[in-house]
Amino acid sequence: MDFFIQLFTDPVLFWNSHTLLISQIGINGIIATSMFLVLYSGQLSLAAPGFMAIGAYTSVLMELYWHTPLSVNIVAGTLLAAGGGVLVGLPVLRLRGVFLAIATIGFVEALRLGVILNVPITGEGLGLKHTADPLGGVPMILVSLVVVVFLVWRLTKGRLGSAWAAIRQDEIAALSQGISVARYKMIAFIFSALLAGYAGALEAHLTFIVSPGDEQYGVTRAVQVLTFAVLGGSGFVLGPVAGALIITLLPYIFLQAGPYLNVFSGVFLIAVIVFRPQGIVGRGGLAIVRPSWWPRARTRAPSPG
Amino acid sequence: MLLRLDDVQRHFGGVRAVDGVSLEVEQGSVQGLIGPNGAGKTTLVNVITGYARFQGGRAWLESDELTGLPAHRIAGLGVARTFQNIRLFKDLTAIENVLIGMHTRRRDDTLAQLATLPIFRSAERSRTKDAYALLEAVALPHSVGTRRAATLPYGDQRRLEIARALALRPRLLILDEPAAGMNPSEKQGMRELIERLNADGLTILLIDHDMRLVMGVCKRVAVLNFGKKIADGTPAEVSTDAGVIKAYLGSGGDKEVTSAPGASGVDEATEVEEAATTSRAAREPDKAILHVQDLTVSYGAVVAVRGVSFRVAAGEVVALIGANGAGKSTILNTLSGLIRPESGAATFDGLDLAHAKASAIVRHGLVQVPEGREILARQTVLENLELATWARRDGAGTRKRIEDVMKRFPILGERRALSAGSLSGGEQQMLAIARGLLARPRLLLLDEPSLGLAPQMVDEVFRAIEEIHQEGTTILLVEQNALRALGIADRAYVIETGRILLSGSGDDLLHNPAVRRAYLGG
Repeated sequence: MDFFIQLFTDPVLFWNSHTLLISQIGINGIIATSMFLVLYSGQLSLAAPGFMAIGAYTSVLMELYWHTPLSVNIVAGTLLAAGGGVLVGLPVLRLRGVFLAIATIGFVEALRLGVILNVPITGEGLGLKHTADPLGGVPMILVSLVVVVFLVWRLTKGRLGSAWAAIRQDEIAALSQGISVARYKMIAFIFSALLAGYAGALEAHLTFIVSPGDEQYGVTRAVQVLTFAVLGGSGFVLGPVAGALIITLLPYIFLQAGPYLNVFSGVFLIAVIVFRPQGIVGRGGLAIVRPSWWPRARTRAPSPG
Repeated sequence: MLLRLDDVQRHFGGVRAVDGVSLEVEQGSVQGLIGPNGAGKTTLVNVITGYARFQGGRAWLESDELTGLPAHRIAGLGVARTFQNIRLFKDLTAIENVLIGMHTRRRDDTLAQLATLPIFRSAERSRTKDAYALLEAVALPHSVGTRRAATLPYGDQRRLEIARALALRPRLLILDEPAAGMNPSEKQGMRELIERLNADGLTILLIDHDMRLVMGVCKRVAVLNFGKKIADGTPAEVSTDAGVIKAYLGSGGDKEVTSAPGASGVDEATEVEEAATTSRAAREPDKAILHVQDLTVSYGAVVAVRGVSFRVAAGEVVALIGANGAGKSTILNTLSGLIRPESGAATFDGLDLAHAKASAIVRHGLVQVPEGREILARQTVLENLELATWARRDGAGTRKRIEDVMKRFPILGERRALSAGSLSGGEQQMLAIARGLLARPRLLLLDEPSLGLAPQMVDEVFRAIEEIHQEGTTILLVEQNALRALGIADRAYVIETGRILLSGSGDDLLHNPAVRRAYLGG
């Protein structure tokens, strides 16, 4: 509780003593937005950690070998991840639902186990140490998050967004309205890869090391990112971001639980999914959590005549 | 000519769903496309609109060739369609649905969106205004605009789907069963809507099972059966065509229809009168094992069965006949506990079918052979039969029953080791009936046993049904092939839009012109 009390009583101290946490929230928020883009266009893709790895390793390797400025490295990592999105998207976007999820997990694991752990330049299992200033960028991360969320929100309001919504609701009906389903899915997938690459490049500079752990660039991470969206709700951009915020804060929310932290976190997630399946920021805004069997005001039937 | 089809082909495996169909739709006309269940109408629409590939033949929309184009390109060329089982964007509002329909004629505004330029807002305002005008065009009030599509009543969903199709500014509008599941007044409204759209110059290709609607609004009607076009002409020509009548009522074996074909000009009032004066030579039995009283069944907003009452006595064969979508299968599914009725009662030999579990109903001796057979295609014939005896664990007795059933259907015995999916349609139907018999039914419900079968196979299936009946099983039969069903039924009920229109002995109904009208309209 001290943690949250401090947030209100002494925000300056809070900010200074939790920079790492705040940065992680910002980065997870960007990854969550990347997840939002694919889900909003009806694609259950779990490829985000793979694109994050591309962004992270590209920017760190450029820094180590070419000594280019940080901003150039990050932009290069982001663009390369988007290019990876094209290459991965072309074969796998014919798949739908669970099959797409499995195929993208295949990509994530092939990249981590097959490439990163086997190519000497990536430092293999040991990862790469680098010296870039890790925490100078907190404001930049938060500004990035705001800009990304704003841009994606605007995209969902335009022609692109309405095509995505149509595809998510019913691909066959979308075709009948003249929407090229394959094209718009690809666009969403590439944007999503781009954002994941950006988040990965930023995250690599949060600590002094980038390492190929499962919880960084593997299935565990993929599931975590999916949880952001499921918990927060994927109908509106802020949903997954809210999910990322809560999940990243869970260790602090259940600080008192000590060794039982994971038990409490698990029960909390199950409770949200049971009582609010559309996510915390679901339809009807931030509705209060209310199970379906909860007694509610009866709507009066119109009187006859 | 607006739309021209030349020898269009589409096969699924060995089934010729569309087999060399040529058709011309004139600019500004309403062209009807009818045919019995499984005739290939929807497949033809899917081929024209790019949802199924052409396997032969070509198609043009004026000078634009449609052959081989992807679905979204064909929509972009101006062919709009609706779907047989409504495909709205359910979680979006009605107005959002219509706005998505404007996709192809909306400039790409991605950059303008990012900057939220005011110029974009005015474009959006004018689009929204257009969308509301389209809602008005299909007679939907403004107030539905902000409602989620899934929450609209069924008839309004149909109208909204048409409004969405109109948003494309189509040159050709294809309506796939727009009046399915509607009550008579909704159907009248749909008819007026189609006429109004046509009067505004829109060319429409209309597919529907409701003959009164099709014959009423179409200038020309084409008839499909087994993938082939069997007739094409004015409604009057088509409704008196011998081939068409046969396709709809089925072949009656050695019986021929002798009554005069009351082709056109019959309105509903005379029909109802006729129904009331139908001879009641075959009275409903006083002692029945199946009682159905005022049964009403709905699917959400759609009322499929409206207050149906009938009885079946032990040892009878009773048929429920009527056109597609009349509610026949719904009645059977309700009796076997798969659907719960909204109101009314059904009892089978003391068991309350409205509340009993489906498994308890089967154990009580009421067994359904479902429409479309529902066999397990990848299991062998023997495995399919063994699964049917799952509930009985007496190994030797079960084995004997399976052998008995195989003796009754020798073809199944011969093919016991083959996968059920490799059997012909008729053999699969035999297997489905055999599986039903293994549950030792006292009342056997058969849902469309002749569906999609070639004539000789129909003969064989009906022979088997008669034999089963002679061995003492009571049968309730649902059939589109009316002449066939009436040929073996002791009594029959004619069902139209969820109501019993006529009832009587099989022979009586066979010669009643109102039966034909229930199928072919007037």
